[in-house]
Amino acid sequence: MAFLRKPAFRRGIFRQPLQPETHLADRLKIYLALQKNSLKASFARIWETPIASSLTILVVAIALALPASFNGLIQNARQPVEALETTSQISLFLKPELSNEAALKLAKKLKQNPALIDASLISKEDGLRELAAYSGFGDALAALNNNPLPAVILVKPRTTDADSVSRLLIELKTLAEADKVQFDSEWLQKLQALLAIAQRCVTAFSLLLGFGVLFTVGNTIRLELQSRRDEIAVAQLLGATHRFIRRPFIHSGFWYAFLGAGLAWGLANLLILGVRTPANQLAELYGSPYRLSFLRLTDTGILFGSAIFLGIIGAWIVVAYFLREIDAE
Amino acid sequence: MIEFKHVTKRYPESGEALSEVSFRVERGELTFLTGHSGAGKSTLLRLIPAIEKPSRGEIMLDGVAVQNLRTRQIPFLRRKLGLIFQDYRLLNDRTVFDNVALPLLITGHNPHEVGRRVRAALDKVGLLKKEKRLPLALSGGEQQRVGIARAIVHKPPLILADEPTGNLDPDLAEEIMRMFRDFNDVGVTVLIASHDLALVRRFSRRTLRLEHGKLSEVG
Repeated sequence: MAFLRKPAFRRGIFRQPLQPETHLADRLKIYLALQKNSLKASFARIWETPIASSLTILVVAIALALPASFNGLIQNARQPVEALETTSQISLFLKPELSNEAALKLAKKLKQNPALIDASLISKEDGLRELAAYSGFGDALAALNNNPLPAVILVKPRTTDADSVSRLLIELKTLAEADKVQFDSEWLQKLQALLAIAQRCVTAFSLLLGFGVLFTVGNTIRLELQSRRDEIAVAQLLGATHRFIRRPFIHSGFWYAFLGAGLAWGLANLLILGVRTPANQLAELYGSPYRLSFLRLTDTGILFGSAIFLGIIGAWIVVAYFLREIDAE
Repeated sequence: MIEFKHVTKRYPESGEALSEVSFRVERGELTFLTGHSGAGKSTLLRLIPAIEKPSRGEIMLDGVAVQNLRTRQIPFLRRKLGLIFQDYRLLNDRTVFDNVALPLLITGHNPHEVGRRVRAALDKVGLLKKEKRLPLALSGGEQQRVGIARAIVHKPPLILADEPTGNLDPDLAEEIMRMFRDFNDVGVTVLIASHDLALVRRFSRRTLRLEHGKLSEVG
């Protein structure tokens, strides 16, 4: 820490400190006061050049708002999909010649299986009754001589990841009583896979646009460095360390990123607000209680945290490069 | 305080600016450095705060070999010096107060103490009432006095002034020189480069004379 650092050497006139020896607590106080003043001064400088500064902040905000809002939407899509996941089930169609007693016995046996939450039998008669009630083909079905429907056992697996489900499917298929096995949630798995791809895309996007933030802030700081070249030269003549010269620019980088992140947060939520009404209508059509939500607290934290990190790093790199150039002269 | 031992400074474009310069300035001395323009006065003064490095030779500053300092040590050397330039080197977008406060900010002085120290320095150069002005709103003499206030605000033991009266009329020049004499009276070592021989003679102090990069007269 800067306030801990003592002059690099002490000999002759350098033996007497310029200022009275201060206690660590005082040095900390001075250090914090310097940081505060510099933060204020950097903000004032941004405020004094509203057009140039707001351009930078806007570019940073757009670069951040894109991944933030896509990520927000994906997080939103995940919730109902995860909710659906727990209702996924396997339909085990039994051989038509199997008797009701044998079917019931099999259902009971499956219930004991630790990999399953539940196994419930829908007998041939139950199936026909349900079909007659819900399909509106009651009369046509009544005209049939015999019941064409097979008995079905609805099986609810305990875990729904692809591996364990496919293992379970094979296990059920090899049962002597089984005719056909159908996993009702295969479409759900496909949807999840799609969501995972989208999530990866957003991550890649975020990285790319993160570099955008880094370069935008870096370039703005570079221009600021050029315009304050004389000032830096004077400060160096008066004994300014690299740390002293770097400080206001790091703080500028912080402000650009912080203000950009704030604006991005607003933009992302605005975008979600735009999608909210149709999305909620869709959810209602499916009879789901689910509603689209704005950026969560953790996502907001990640947005601000990564933006500030990028802003500070961007400023740091540019100032370090600039100082190395000056020292070489 | 200052000791040059066989110092040579050679520029690739223009050849030797200083050749085999040796001299000593004792603590508490006020010394003039004279010579026509281009004789190497500025070069000599630039070597002391390590703005440039000598091609050969040794520069000792109260026991510290300046030419051997590492880049990160140089700021701490400069903090012990008060530098005054012919072209003032003020920040024209900052007030007089902020200009004078700069060395204190750089050394990390207690912010509550800065105002008092800055006003004391401005009082010494007679500019207390102009602390809120911008440098370009001041006359040349006033700007140079801001530069001097900035050089003394952190109470350095050594002041180096490069043509401090170069742009000023004779009356003002003499006033500025008297100011340096006053600092010297309270124990500050002062080295002033000036081509104004008449002015230098009036103060009758030790004078070093540079001619074509050679120290031709020590007395």
